[in-house]
Amino acid sequence: MEHHSGLVLPNSGHNRDAEASKLGMWLFLFTEFLLFGGLFIVYMVYRMLNPEAFLTASYQLNVTLGAMNTVVLLVSSMTIAMSITAIQQGNSKRSIQLLVFTVAASLVFLVIKYFEWSAKIHHGLFPGMDVFNRLPHGEGLFFYLYFFMTGLHALHIIIGAIFIVVVIFRTKNGLLNADNYSHTENAGLYWHLVDMIWIYLFPLFYLIH
Amino acid sequence: MKNNTESHDESAHGTHITSNKEHYSTLAALLLLTVLTVSISVFGANLRSLTVATAMLIATVKVIVVAYYFMHLKFEKKIYTWLVLLVIVLFLSFLILTSIEYLNR
Repeated sequence: MEHHSGLVLPNSGHNRDAEASKLGMWLFLFTEFLLFGGLFIVYMVYRMLNPEAFLTASYQLNVTLGAMNTVVLLVSSMTIAMSITAIQQGNSKRSIQLLVFTVAASLVFLVIKYFEWSAKIHHGLFPGMDVFNRLPHGEGLFFYLYFFMTGLHALHIIIGAIFIVVVIFRTKNGLLNADNYSHTENAGLYWHLVDMIWIYLFPLFYLIH
Repeated sequence: MKNNTESHDESAHGTHITSNKEHYSTLAALLLLTVLTVSISVFGANLRSLTVATAMLIATVKVIVVAYYFMHLKFEKKIYTWLVLLVIVLFLSFLILTSIEYLNR
């Protein structure tokens, strides 16, 4: 019960520091933010140089599928936040259920993304394909950025889902509980970042008509 | 927020435990903003540059809501908010410098 007294000494055998762990995660998220931030600036500059081409190209994207994926990510962001509430209250079982739901949502996101990409590839719009090569310069740039940025984002979805699966197993084994849930918290922070990036990607590519 | 178990947990751990009710309201706000941004884009397509500005504004509001409530920034130590602001200032200065260069061509 020494956790509850708030008087744990630095060398009392507890080799973890939830606060440092969380701060470390935030610092990592800042580098991720700047990585995507740089790409957003590239997008902005190319868009200012080719406004008409970006507009024409953006009509090729499916707003319905993009909006569906936005909803999927927002709901999964809530479920992972709720799983942290559950584990804080000592309800590991409920926490696991909510994490499983979040992973399921990540799979739904990837399946929708797969259908979107397949449709584009079917139309020959992937960089290097015949239709892509005949596109006007600016429209080609749009699709380069579309595939690179949504691809990098999808990679983050996959990494985030793996992170959450690890947390599920660690919760199952009792390694994570009401007194030690910093991995759950960090997985949540990472997942929210992935959600935030999509919040900007969605209007920039799908909605700006 | 005034739930018994929560106030007990808060005093025990010194951390805020967000209630599911708060989570539901946060999600509802985010979904509402998504509906808003999609409808502005679909029905206001002739507004052009105005839609770009509003889309970015709504996205920014959504991101702030996610950070503030889902990422618990509201309940964290102030140092997290300051660090986030520092990174935003860094990013915005890069963005503005790039725009100035472009506008002065």
